[in-house]
Amino acid sequence: MPVVELSYSRLQKLIGKVSKKQISDSLPFLGLDIESEDKDLVRIEYSPNRPDYSTDFGIALGLQGLLGEKIGTVKLKIKKSSKYEISVKSNVSKIRPFVTGIVAKNGKIDDKTIKQLMTMQEDLHFGIGRKRKKSSIGIHDLDKISFPLVYTTTNRNHKFIPLNSEKEITISEILTNTDVGKDYGSILGQSSQVPLILDDNKNTVSFPPIINAAVTTVTPKTKNLFVEVTGINKEDAEDMLSVVATILQSAGFSLESVKISGAKNSTPKLDSRKLIVSSSMINKTLGLNLTPSKIISCLKKSRLDASSKGKNIICIIPAYRFDIFGPMDLVEEVALGYGIQNLEPTLSPSQTIGITNPISLKLKSLDKTMIGLGYLEALNSSLTSKRVLYEMTNRDSKKILSVLDSKSQEHTILRDSILPGLLENLSRNIHESYPQKMFETGTIFLTGDPIAEKINFAGISAHKNSNFTEIKSVVQSALNIGFGIQIETKTSTNPTFENGHCASILLNNTQIGIIGKIDSKIIENYKIRVPVVGFEISLSESLLKN
Amino acid sequence: MSQVFHEIEKKIITSLRENPKQTPNSLEKSTQLLPDQIRRGIEWLRLKELAIVNESKSTVVSLGKNGIESFEKGLPERRLLDLLKNGPKKLSDLQKELGSIFGPSMGLARKNNWIDTSNDQISIKTSPQELPGEKTLKLIGNEKIPKEKIDINDLSGLLKRPDFIIEDVLKTQEISLSTSAKSINFSDSADGIDVEANVPEVFVARTHPLKDTIDEIREIFVTLGFSEILGNMTQSSFWNFDALFTPQDHPARELQDTFYLDKINAKKIGTPEQIRKVSDSHKKNWRYQWDINEARKMVLRTHTTCVTIKHLAENKPDEARIFSLGRVFRNEKVSYKHLVEFNQIEGVVVGKDASLRNLMGIQREFYKRIGITKIKFWPTFFPYTEPSLQTMVYNEKLGKWIELFGMGIFRPEVTKPLGINKPVLAWGGGIERIAMLKYDLDDVREFYSNNLRWLRSATKCQ
Repeated sequence: MPVVELSYSRLQKLIGKVSKKQISDSLPFLGLDIESEDKDLVRIEYSPNRPDYSTDFGIALGLQGLLGEKIGTVKLKIKKSSKYEISVKSNVSKIRPFVTGIVAKNGKIDDKTIKQLMTMQEDLHFGIGRKRKKSSIGIHDLDKISFPLVYTTTNRNHKFIPLNSEKEITISEILTNTDVGKDYGSILGQSSQVPLILDDNKNTVSFPPIINAAVTTVTPKTKNLFVEVTGINKEDAEDMLSVVATILQSAGFSLESVKISGAKNSTPKLDSRKLIVSSSMINKTLGLNLTPSKIISCLKKSRLDASSKGKNIICIIPAYRFDIFGPMDLVEEVALGYGIQNLEPTLSPSQTIGITNPISLKLKSLDKTMIGLGYLEALNSSLTSKRVLYEMTNRDSKKILSVLDSKSQEHTILRDSILPGLLENLSRNIHESYPQKMFETGTIFLTGDPIAEKINFAGISAHKNSNFTEIKSVVQSALNIGFGIQIETKTSTNPTFENGHCASILLNNTQIGIIGKIDSKIIENYKIRVPVVGFEISLSESLLKN
Repeated sequence: MSQVFHEIEKKIITSLRENPKQTPNSLEKSTQLLPDQIRRGIEWLRLKELAIVNESKSTVVSLGKNGIESFEKGLPERRLLDLLKNGPKKLSDLQKELGSIFGPSMGLARKNNWIDTSNDQISIKTSPQELPGEKTLKLIGNEKIPKEKIDINDLSGLLKRPDFIIEDVLKTQEISLSTSAKSINFSDSADGIDVEANVPEVFVARTHPLKDTIDEIREIFVTLGFSEILGNMTQSSFWNFDALFTPQDHPARELQDTFYLDKINAKKIGTPEQIRKVSDSHKKNWRYQWDINEARKMVLRTHTTCVTIKHLAENKPDEARIFSLGRVFRNEKVSYKHLVEFNQIEGVVVGKDASLRNLMGIQREFYKRIGITKIKFWPTFFPYTEPSLQTMVYNEKLGKWIELFGMGIFRPEVTKPLGINKPVLAWGGGIERIAMLKYDLDDVREFYSNNLRWLRSATKCQ
């Protein structure tokens, strides 16, 4: 979840007459988690589906509603203008076909506002922009640009001075030498042509989705802004623009339209939508009995507009609330407006009878038997390492099942056996008193299509007099008491066990497991100082279910 | 006093009553016990504060190899002087007669000006009555003598010579009875044993503490009318993500968050209808080109919800209470609060009248049964539920609210494509979090380290 840093005093200025405590008490009920607080500063986690909460302006809008300071929809007031135009050339249609934009004028920009806008930009890029792939924003100083603009393509030798630079460099150099170029260059693929926004004087404004030109950099001296959003999908680009427009309007800017023309593109409308939902559905889902007018007031507190027609609620949803897909999303908005803290939990009578899964029951009874035999239960991860699973125990690693890109070297492959983990446990406990007797039941994974998941049962006994007879007695008794079966053992060899002290465990002449004395070299590998005997059995479905 | 005494203790006490201050040696003689029995008996009595043991240290000296030789044959310089008593001798003769002590004895005699050396002839100059060290040698002889009984000036010369004197530090114990021991009546405890003595520790075999919590949670769910379902830990992305309305380019699906199985794709992921309807829901709502190959990628399940949704899609119940419990995986860095693999509990209620307040009610009941009463609900966001809430529970030790379970009602975008037509209340969370509260742990790794000291001793907090 993304995090945004806010100041209480700034929020207070934006919201109106509310105390710091009212704000901190209300934040969680807006779905915002307070991560940490330090005097005036507060760090807040917000959901990626609400990019308007990436700035204090957006959060202030939400809090105004919840605290009743200002309710209902934030209407975008966009003055129609013919001064600003972007014409789109058809050559961009294969690379990054859509562009949209807006102009924001006469706002006060201080360092804190710039910081908030940059956070919003980054979070939008990451979330709905999918790391700039789907859509990306450029925010520019309007007064450094001469309209009309053209959205076109250029080749990789094109030169301009990019943001945070002083000299002209080529697109190729940007892509190979700058951080943003390295991070996002792959979005443009291998094509020789890349997207570009040029102004009327043929000056580069932006090289989307990588970097803006230095000349249009926003500073505390900037008064008027130009925002462009480019992307591979018209709706996504306009969604993104609607968030930026809403936030800029809330920050005190007045908005003016930018005319988009040519190749599939059109001037953004950023209109609100209408969604109809029945009040009975809302009440049934929440377990409440609210009147339509109460529902409407709840929706207004969530900064939506609504009216009723009979039992139906007609809801008006502003463009920036594209997280609202359907009626169920409105139910949540009603719940938030009503206040989650006001929802009293109730318990409905159950008509159902609970049943433990027979396999879980069987495993639990096996646990009890092993404990009766003096064995302590261990739990190991199913994700383990090649070292523990194969190298230390001298096992064949041909049928290895590994995961991609694990962040932990100790957890890279799925276990196909439980015993190695138990041996690893012994080696970590060599300073604890003996005897050490442990068992584990758990899932193991075998290659195949589909991958087989089986439940295995393994145990070990380590002490200075441990021997084959002891462990066979344990297995024999556990399987007899736990499953009512009689096993046999037959001489066998296995790289984990010592020759002459190893046997297959047979049930009705079918091998179900292996038992014996752990090979002395393996004991040495694990630095264990006493002899160890152990077993591992594969528990079939039929054994587990009867 | 009704203490129990060992036979050894009784004998020692009896002897000390007759003879109040003794050494272990004298006790050995008077009680006829072995030295080791005396040692143990004294220690037991001392721990019970019945015997007083005064330890004192003293140094004793005895003769070393060269010391004994000198005691028997005289000091080397004495033997040199003795040879010269009857007149001067030749250097070479002396060398022959004295052997290895010739050098040292000549050296000393010259240094002290006892002899004259001229023209290869050695003669006595002065012959002292008693040489330094001779008195001490005689005094020690074959015995061990306390150092303080010896003239330190006479001893010091010998101490400098190799292998002449051995010094030992001797610990001597003086044992006496404490006042309370004097009034002990042995007949009070005729055949008893020492019930207060320390005994060796035995270790209990037990279920793993985490498993105890898992079993407890399973039982609570069953008593609340829920039935348990099981499912695979390896799942296709289709059931783990797509069926749960997570778009294919969602960050949660990236390699750095999710474990993908290397080079393994699922051949069969669902029925053609399920695949078509799920992909339609994605295309319509998320506006992108849904790719079946992405859905075929096999992952280690990131939640047990995939098991639940598959079960619901296959059975389409009008009313049900089911839960699944098991391991889930996240590709995170292991730390005191993160594991790559942990247990999750997940429950759902299906029913035409299932409401958000019911969902909250079941939560409250569940927490009450595991012993958590201070809870509250906060709104939150999950991709596949709407509305969504999270439970916050108050942790007294940390003095703050911590997040526990997430919950919500399955989105129509999830249920409708799979033919599930009744509301589904769902919630879930990590079991380790609850177990950490129960066992008062602040490092989640403890559960899987199988440290015997902890496994053998872990107790639940109440």
